[in-house]
Amino acid sequence: MIIIRLWNFLRGYAIIIVEGLKIERFINMAISNGIYIWDIKKLSYTSISAKIGLENFGKMREIVRKTDSTIVIKEKRGFPFILKDLKRHKLFAATVMILLIMIYVMCSYVWMIEVVGTKTIDPKVVMDIVNQEGLKEGVRKAKLDRHSLENKILIKLPQLSWVGIQVRGTKAVVEVVEKREEPELISKTDACDIVAAKSGVIHKILVLNGDGIVKDGVTVKKGQVLVTGTILRENSEPRLVHSLAQVTGRTWYEDAEQMDLQQIEFKDTGRKTTQYMLKLLDKEVGFKKTIPYSEYNEVREEKNIISFGNYVFPIKLISIRYNELVIVPKTLTVEQAKKRCEERLNERLKLHLSENAVVLDKKINYVEEKKSVMAKISVEILEEIGVKKRIQAK
Amino acid sequence: MNKKTYKIKETLSNALELPKDIILDVARVTMIGSNHVIVENHKGILEYNEDQIRVNTGSGILIVIGSKLNIKSILQEEITITGEIDSVGY
Repeated sequence: MIIIRLWNFLRGYAIIIVEGLKIERFINMAISNGIYIWDIKKLSYTSISAKIGLENFGKMREIVRKTDSTIVIKEKRGFPFILKDLKRHKLFAATVMILLIMIYVMCSYVWMIEVVGTKTIDPKVVMDIVNQEGLKEGVRKAKLDRHSLENKILIKLPQLSWVGIQVRGTKAVVEVVEKREEPELISKTDACDIVAAKSGVIHKILVLNGDGIVKDGVTVKKGQVLVTGTILRENSEPRLVHSLAQVTGRTWYEDAEQMDLQQIEFKDTGRKTTQYMLKLLDKEVGFKKTIPYSEYNEVREEKNIISFGNYVFPIKLISIRYNELVIVPKTLTVEQAKKRCEERLNERLKLHLSENAVVLDKKINYVEEKKSVMAKISVEILEEIGVKKRIQAK
Repeated sequence: MNKKTYKIKETLSNALELPKDIILDVARVTMIGSNHVIVENHKGILEYNEDQIRVNTGSGILIVIGSKLNIKSILQEEITITGEIDSVGY
C-alpha cells in the first residue's frame, strides 16, 4: 500500500467534498468513467469526502452536472503542489539547495583525525608526523593517497611495525602497531662473560660453565667480570665458552626526602564559572570572560556539535570551567612530616626493587631541623646481580 | 442470464476446475479479519452510509453492516471497505 500512496503523492491529489442527494450514483459514475477515487468517508447524510488524482479533476465536472451535486476542494496535496509552493518561495528553495550542497561538500573533507593503538609512543608524536605528511584536518578525502602516506609514516617512525589509515565518514583513523622491543638474546652457542649489574658484595656464586673469577664475600663494582667465558689452560689454546652462573649479591640502596613543616594546600570552594566558545576550523569565537577568582584551576572540554556517526563537522563547542580555589596553610607536626617522608621513600623503594629481590635490612634516619624534617633511608638488598655479556670477537 | 446457460456454465466450471467467479460472473467477497471486506467483480454501489453499504453484484445485493464504514478504494472491478464490520450478507 505504501507504494500506491507514494505514487499518489508524486502525482498529486486533492481532497474533495461532494454534496448531493445522489452520492452513490456519483461514485458509480466516477468509476465507470475510469476515475480512481479512494479514502471515501461519509461526512453527513448528503456529503462525503474523498481523494482524487490531479489528472482526473477535469473529468469530474460532467459527473457533477449529471448528479446535481456540488464539489469543493478542501486541500491539495502531493509533490506537484510542493513544487508550486517552492516556486513561489524561491529564496527558501535556494537556501535548502545551498545547504544540501554544502553538506555534500563538507562530507568530502577530513575533519577529525584519530590515532589508535599507541602504547609507549605519545599519540601526539604520531599525530605531528601524520600532519607533516599531509593528513591534516580539512584535507580533501579524494586527495589522500593512503598507501604512500602509510609508508612515509613508517619510515619516519621506525618504532612502528604497521600503520593503517582508514577514512570513515569525515573521520580519519590512523591505526598503529608498535614494535615490541626484543631483549638481546645470547644463544647458547655464543661465547659470553657474566658481569655485575650492580655494585655490591657477592653473597653466593654458583658457576655452571666458565671460570669463576670472584669468590663469596668479595666486593665488586658495576660492570666487573664475575665469570669469564675465556678459558685459559696450560698446554692448550684459549677457548671461548658460553658461561652460566647464578650470582647473588648484597647491594645497597640509599635515598633521602625532605618535608617542610609549613605546607600549602589548595581547597575547592565549590564556586565556579563556565565560559563557552565556538571553534570553527581553527578560529575560536566567543566573549572572553574576566575570571573573578584570584586562585583557580581550569578544565577545558571540546565537543563536536554536529556529528552523525562517523560524519563529524568542524564546529566545536568549547567549555572552560574555572573552579575557585582557596589557599589553606597547614602546619604539620614533626610526627606527621616523618610519616609522609616514610611513605614517599617506601613508594620509591618499591619501584627500585627487582622481581626476586629480598630486603635484608631497612633503616630510616630522621634529621629534625627548625622548619623541616629530613629522612634518609638505607636498605640492604639480596638480589641476582649477574648479567650475561657477549664477548666481542677480536 | 437464463437458468439453462447458468447450469451449463456451472457444470463446465466444476468439470474443468475453473474459478467460478470468472465463469459465472458473480462477486468474490474476501474478508480480512473483522475490518476489511474486499468485493471483486461488483456492479456498483447502491447505498453508502456510515453503518451500512449495499453493493450490487451478479448474484444479488451484498449488504455490509457495521460502524464507521469507509470505502478505502473503489475501482471498476474491486471495492475495499474498511471499518468495524458486524455482518456481511445477501
